[in-house]
Amino acid sequence: MRVSDSSWINPRDNFESVPKSLSPDQRFAAERAFSSVLVNTVREAVGDALGRNVLEILTSKGLIDASNNSKEFDSKLRSLFGNGAAVLERIVVKDLNRKLGIPYDSEARFDYEKSLETAKEVSFVESRLK
Amino acid sequence: MSGSEILSTLLGSEVRGDLLVLFHRNPGLIDTVDGVARRIGRTTVAVINEVRELLELGVLRQKRIGAFEVVSLDRAKDRELLESVANHLKTVRISGEK
Repeated sequence: MRVSDSSWINPRDNFESVPKSLSPDQRFAAERAFSSVLVNTVREAVGDALGRNVLEILTSKGLIDASNNSKEFDSKLRSLFGNGAAVLERIVVKDLNRKLGIPYDSEARFDYEKSLETAKEVSFVESRLK
Repeated sequence: MSGSEILSTLLGSEVRGDLLVLFHRNPGLIDTVDGVARRIGRTTVAVINEVRELLELGVLRQKRIGAFEVVSLDRAKDRELLESVANHLKTVRISGEK
């Protein structure tokens, strides 16, 4: 008996193929939707951790605008917060994962860029399923 | 204590970050350390030293209610500390900033 053979594939286990099946318009819409969720999540995370004044300063320094470029964001965050940057990034990823229904494991090795990639793929899958 | 030192203490660990978010999102929260640990999905053991750091800094305060020691956000002190952090961050230049 082939117990594991199933016609249903968990979209979160199949990140590679799904985004490619989006049309350019759908992909653009999905990119924009994810970007909006991410920027809002970064704003909420920074504001909730360090307050409105700090959030305003980071916005004026262009950090919030850099949210969509994980490398640039990480680099700017590190130049401001040093080791504390990783704590803020974890708060962002935790909130983002909660919004997208992705489990978060605080014990697992943390990679901000990879976490955002995973969240983006899940967001794309969900936009395709809508 | 300088803004930079305050910032290092506030963001000294992931648990401390979770505690800051919890209390800033629920500024009226009053709970035991056990209760606070549960609210952020951690064990009391993992949280107790982090709460102590925030008590020493003054962000949190502790008092006894009946048989329980409870912690809560010291809003005035929190505002004061975050103001110092904000003033410190204003002086830090980041890559690409003019």
